[in-house]
Amino acid sequence: MTDWTPLAPGSSEDPAERAARENQHQVLIDLLGAYADGELPPETRSQIDAHLVGCVSCRRELAVHRAMRRRLGVEPPVAAPPALRERIVAAIAATPVPVPVTVARPRRFAMLRRPVVLGGLATVVVAGAVGATVLVRHSAAPALAPLAASVTSIPLLQDALTDYRRVVAGDLPGRARDLDAVRSAVPFPIEPLRSSAVRLLAAWTTELGQDPAVVLAYRWDDRIVLQYVVSEQRFFQHPALRQAVAGGGLLAAHDGAQGIVAWPTSSAGALLIADVPPEKLRALGTAALLAGKVARGAP
Amino acid sequence: MNPILASISDRHARFDALVLPHLDRLLAFAARRTNVRADAEDAVQEACGRAWLGLDDLRDPTKVRAWLYRILRGVLSEAEERTARRRQLVSITRLEEAHDELISSDSDVVFEEVASRLTSEEVHAALGQLPDDFASVVELHDIDGFKYQEIAEIVGVPIGTVMSRISRGRRLLAGAVLASRTATKESGLAVSKERRGGRRGGSGTSGGGGGVR
Repeated sequence: MTDWTPLAPGSSEDPAERAARENQHQVLIDLLGAYADGELPPETRSQIDAHLVGCVSCRRELAVHRAMRRRLGVEPPVAAPPALRERIVAAIAATPVPVPVTVARPRRFAMLRRPVVLGGLATVVVAGAVGATVLVRHSAAPALAPLAASVTSIPLLQDALTDYRRVVAGDLPGRARDLDAVRSAVPFPIEPLRSSAVRLLAAWTTELGQDPAVVLAYRWDDRIVLQYVVSEQRFFQHPALRQAVAGGGLLAAHDGAQGIVAWPTSSAGALLIADVPPEKLRALGTAALLAGKVARGAP
Repeated sequence: MNPILASISDRHARFDALVLPHLDRLLAFAARRTNVRADAEDAVQEACGRAWLGLDDLRDPTKVRAWLYRILRGVLSEAEERTARRRQLVSITRLEEAHDELISSDSDVVFEEVASRLTSEEVHAALGQLPDDFASVVELHDIDGFKYQEIAEIVGVPIGTVMSRISRGRRLLAGAVLASRTATKESGLAVSKERRGGRRGGSGTSGGGGGVR
């Protein structure tokens, strides 16, 4: 309340003094915010202290500053939804890592948007790759290691391909919300794709050969991509597969119209299969491989 | 460790530690500048993406918050240009008049009490009436807790400009608050007059509603 108490008017003030005080008032009024915020040097602060003694309107003004600042200072925070955080993490994981080279033109982040604009994703991701003058997707991302054997000679790949062809020919057997049930049904961890380029549609368990496996079906643009997760024992069973991923890269193979990429996860192995060449699956596999490695601090 | 993967891993860890803790504040700042919440989220996502690409430009990690706000302001400004979206500004003169009336008034109205009772919606509505040059510096200081020097760096203006914008911005904000209250009172009066008129006129509606819904 003291800020609002009127001063005893200086009735003896002469016109020259009054004009000088008015001039000073016009200058100082723009500094009252900084005064209230403690952002002025001591000498300016002293000037305002002296002015305030004789200026009712500045004291009222100061009270307004303090009142507004106090109110804005208790404005409740907004919590960013977990989905936004996930989207950002996924987009970062799928984004090329820049290297310090001369930048020829302004950079613009090729962003994965919220699901409503999924249709534009392919273009956006490709645009990111095209800007390779400053982004080193190909040198920084894990290498795509072609398989040094035919797919049919590796039982795991052959089993997964057979299962894939059977699944895509019929109805999907599960729903996305079954993922928790699926996780508890197998003795190895499941790391779903975290890219916002895909959306999980269904999850279920199956067997590849005699071994348990988990299948995650995603919508990727207007096609289906299946992720098979198997135990690490099964994944590392075949020497050609071990050799392909030994350099920290992604195994790449194809059989007919189906492309396959595969990589080891923390305690399991993952394969992606879709009706596209393996090069097209690369972005999804790379993001998953890197995200997994970063999450567990693995080499 | 493969040196490339090590470098990527370090970069992710640095990004997670430096950038992600500020998402809430960034989103709140963006949300006050967009009409649609999803647009605010997109702006924050875009800003984070640029931060990821430009992480090497951040020499001093203690300045990460100001750096992120500067990026976000750039994103928001570009989005505003693209969509030609502009704030629905009230006449500045009107806000200044409302403020001047408050300062020159001899009434016992204690503005602090008025301010302290403002809801978040009222605060946002009042901020939304200010030109962004003024609203953003006031918000950066009073809500986000930046010092004047940091605000000067975020906004890209001299510190003297920050001082005068904050002073004027808070004056306009007070004017916006008072103008809104006056408008609300006037519309309340109009409604009650209408209701009284309805009753006097014997319009036949029950409960004195006068047909106002």
